[in-house]
Amino acid sequence: LWHFLATLIRLVSTFNGVPAGLADADTIFALSSGHGRCGVAVVRVSGSASSMALRCMAGLKRRLPSPRTALLRSITDPHSKEILDRGLVLWFPGPHSFTGEDSVEFHIHGGPAVITAVLQALGSMPGMRPAEAGEFTRRAFQAGKLGLTEVEGLGDLIHAETEAQRRQALRQMSGDLERLYQGWSHRLKRCLAHVEAFIDFSEDELIEDGVLERVDSSVSTLLAEIERHLKDERRGERLRSGVHVVIAGATNAGKSSLLNTLCQRPAAIVSSIAGTTRDVVETGLDIGGFPVLLSDTAGLRDSTDLIEQEGVRRARERCLLVLNKTDLLPEAQRQKLERELKGVSGLPPVCLISCQTHEGLQDFLSVLQSRVKTLCGDPLSDAPTLTQARHRAHLQQCVAALAQYQKLRDTDLALAAEGVRLALTSLGRITGKLGAEEILDIIFKDFCIGK
Amino acid sequence: ALIRSLQPVRTIHSLVSRCISHLSRQCYDVIVVGGGHAGTEAAAAAARMGAETLLVTQKIHTIGALSCNPSLGGVGKGHLVREVDALDGLCGRAGDWAGINFSILNRSKGPAVWGPRAQLDRQRYREFIQGELRSISRLTVLEGSVEDLLVAEPSPDEPGSHRVTGISLENVLNPITASSVVLTTGTFLSGSIFVGQTTSPGGRIGDAPSSAGLSHTLKERLGLRVGRLRTGTPPRIVKESVDFALAELHPPDRRPTPFSFMNTHTRCKEQVPCYLTYTTPGVERVVQESLHLNCHIQQDTKGPRYCPSIESRVLRFPGRSHQVWLEPEGVTSDLLYPQGLSMTMPPEMQLRLIREIPALHRAEIHSPGYGVQYDYVCPTQLSSALQVKTTQGLFLAGQINGTTGYEEAAAQGLWAGVNAACRALSTPPVSLSRTESYIGVLIDDLVCRGVTEPYRMFTSRAEFRTALRPDNADLRLTPKGYELGCVSPSRYQEAMRVQRSLQDAMAALQALTLSTARCREKLPDVRVSESKNAALTGMELLQYKELSFETLASVFPERLSSYLEFSQRLKIEAVYKPHCDINKKEIERIQKEENMFLPQDIDYFSLPASLSQEAREILDRVRPTTLGAATRLEGITPAAVVSLYNYVQFAEKKGENGQQKTTRSK
Repeated sequence: LWHFLATLIRLVSTFNGVPAGLADADTIFALSSGHGRCGVAVVRVSGSASSMALRCMAGLKRRLPSPRTALLRSITDPHSKEILDRGLVLWFPGPHSFTGEDSVEFHIHGGPAVITAVLQALGSMPGMRPAEAGEFTRRAFQAGKLGLTEVEGLGDLIHAETEAQRRQALRQMSGDLERLYQGWSHRLKRCLAHVEAFIDFSEDELIEDGVLERVDSSVSTLLAEIERHLKDERRGERLRSGVHVVIAGATNAGKSSLLNTLCQRPAAIVSSIAGTTRDVVETGLDIGGFPVLLSDTAGLRDSTDLIEQEGVRRARERCLLVLNKTDLLPEAQRQKLERELKGVSGLPPVCLISCQTHEGLQDFLSVLQSRVKTLCGDPLSDAPTLTQARHRAHLQQCVAALAQYQKLRDTDLALAAEGVRLALTSLGRITGKLGAEEILDIIFKDFCIGK
Repeated sequence: ALIRSLQPVRTIHSLVSRCISHLSRQCYDVIVVGGGHAGTEAAAAAARMGAETLLVTQKIHTIGALSCNPSLGGVGKGHLVREVDALDGLCGRAGDWAGINFSILNRSKGPAVWGPRAQLDRQRYREFIQGELRSISRLTVLEGSVEDLLVAEPSPDEPGSHRVTGISLENVLNPITASSVVLTTGTFLSGSIFVGQTTSPGGRIGDAPSSAGLSHTLKERLGLRVGRLRTGTPPRIVKESVDFALAELHPPDRRPTPFSFMNTHTRCKEQVPCYLTYTTPGVERVVQESLHLNCHIQQDTKGPRYCPSIESRVLRFPGRSHQVWLEPEGVTSDLLYPQGLSMTMPPEMQLRLIREIPALHRAEIHSPGYGVQYDYVCPTQLSSALQVKTTQGLFLAGQINGTTGYEEAAAQGLWAGVNAACRALSTPPVSLSRTESYIGVLIDDLVCRGVTEPYRMFTSRAEFRTALRPDNADLRLTPKGYELGCVSPSRYQEAMRVQRSLQDAMAALQALTLSTARCREKLPDVRVSESKNAALTGMELLQYKELSFETLASVFPERLSSYLEFSQRLKIEAVYKPHCDINKKEIERIQKEENMFLPQDIDYFSLPASLSQEAREILDRVRPTTLGAATRLEGITPAAVVSLYNYVQFAEKKGENGQQKTTRSK
């Protein structure tokens, strides 16, 4: 099906002959739900011809349905009048739609034949063409419906594989991060305005006393807040890209068995996060809604190298001690072992499991889950977290620029003010106040067709 | 060091005439209307460019008059003066000739925001400007009143729906024609003067109002949108009636810094001080009591927020004490200018008000303050060459574009004069980028954003303030000006000498490397951080606050002493270079966007791009010439910029294929 669709799209695109994004007068359509056999498929249409498509294909000759209300209709081919499917249609008149344009959704049965028929029918109408990758989002962005971080949030939402990732993306899309950064921008703008006023007016007119001192304290507060946001131990980014969990231990301890066992447990769903299989054995798992990248390694070794020792020490802090093959121990010895383990101080949490009998596996999974959750943070209850390396880079620039203000404030106020200006620009880059080309580069990379 | 003597007022006469019959010709390349700061710079620049130029003014005597405050420069404004000078304009040298009190404002805040400023002797300033104009060849000055513009059908080769071909004068039968006309009518366009409850037509007390025909033609025939602004001037005070013992003495800088890159010193031998004093609650009382007698203040025309009248200061910030500067009007003048006391109440109330200020308790008024309301042409109707977009050959500069201040007027005048000459000489229009000059910032702000109140320059308006400094205006602009033809060879050679010397000196500083240990030995006062292992170059050492170039040169005289003439500039370059380097990428991006031209005949309403209706309306109204200009429009979102960017790319591709662009259907 996918190949067929791709061919179809390529054909229609070539026929249309318009480079991506340049003919926004066109009405676009695409399958917006996942590809493959499914119960319900959603086909989305956006642009000025949407209402025409709805009238022709849902037999609505007289008037359009009331906005944003589902209506059950027979969906017909506009030319042959043949009934293609029976499904729900929704009418979203612009600007109150995702893209800001007139939009229509067809909720049809998810069989490949039905989907193909509906897409072909849409493409046969004048002014309609299949959407390019990311085009719906781009139109939404261009209509001012989404800010840049919201667009990124949407991209993540579409790519979200686990429940926690979905929550974080949804939160970002709803503008939490946008609001956080806008709030900082707003405060920085005030700081800058005060410094600029001091530079331009303090000699000529009376400027209140203490203007610069107030700026100093605002800058310090902001700096502390941004630094705290940066010191989130990359929870947001980790949640976005997955927590790396390494199984380390002596040979024949059952590391691979554990990996295999975890992969087969219903509590741990093997997922196909892109790029998962990058090296030896790395498997993507969903542990209680959190993404985990599990890999099998040769294990930790004692080292004389100072830096390596520090790395090993840090790794041990986040350890779980898993003792496998409990099925080989007689019950009495096992109880003795448990008692003795409790007496040892400084040990990480211990789990006794058997990959053979799956004994203790459930407990191990819940311990692992709580560990992973701590590392990722709760995307709903905590303050919004950094989710993108791009944001981190701009925030670090922002921090450096504010430090420039503090450093030069007494020697050269013009250069100090330059620091505040740079800080503001860096923040602005996160939320989308960038040069035209940069905006393009960032947004239009990462989207799949129809999203 | 090189010492050049200040250039004296030259007395070579070009034609100055009070009678039209003396004119040698009826046809000029450029006609400039108005003899204020904009007009004189425009006429001089056009003539320097090689255009036969006629300056028409109501009174030859008032050419170069300082209508309001007797001072030049300041923070932001001083930058403009330096740039006008770097382009060989008049006002910097005139300031050095007429200045009687020089100081650098913002001295403690960093060289990028230093504001060179001077109090001027009104008489000397006028003398200098008039003398300069007389000495410029190809420039004729004519006394007369312009009655109207000559308007003709547009030339089909250029955009525009009208063409201005010259002027007609009052009481003169034959019109005078020109390729370009520069209007610098200041506050005279439908100007009204307000004192108390009386109103009279005019732009300045003592001068005749300008012709109603001109105003009518601009609005009705050329269809230009105009707005109304107001300004005012304080009463002049008799010097000997002031009790200086009750005011704070503010001495000038001990060594005057000249405005002009061509001058190493200024003319005046002994500087005249300023005095500072403050308003009292009594001042506020008089303002309140006189409000019902004050027509000017009751009207809601927009006045300058940054140079407000005492009435608006008191009304906006009641219960506060406001600064009043007592500024000298000249070496021999008997008058003082009370900066901060611009007012429009009846003269008897003005006297009551000033006497509420301790130092002025027995002061006498020589001439009362008054307000002026005037029309300005909304500057978004201009191109970055300051030509009216819809009218070929018509250029506007100065207060007519909604600005306030001598320096802003001079800067626009110069650039309008350059472009008026370009048009007359059939060379393409030229613009200055906001990445290279304050003049560029000024013009870009005007033509992109328009004005809602009188526009004044501030350093905060310049995005690249660390690069656009008063000290380097010559390096930024003189070569470009020379290439265009508005800079004399002697100034160009001097700028080149400076540039070469600075480059050599910086190379010498870069080549000079010292280990931290040697630094501590040779330069014990410099607190080089202990942790630095690497050697430091001379450029890096100069970044330390406590090290001056002179000190460094005294330690390494054989390498550096030949550059002592440029000590201060080298120190500034060293400190600012790393910051300017950071800005380079951003500057390149802006320059790239400024090179993406938007066709002037795009029909924004039918443009196949996802633009909101609001964005379309703004773009249609302003018609930005480049993508860069569009990004700076208020109300244009980044998303709209992306759409426009797409369009420009697309249009360029289409253009290559020889297909048609989307154009406005006529």
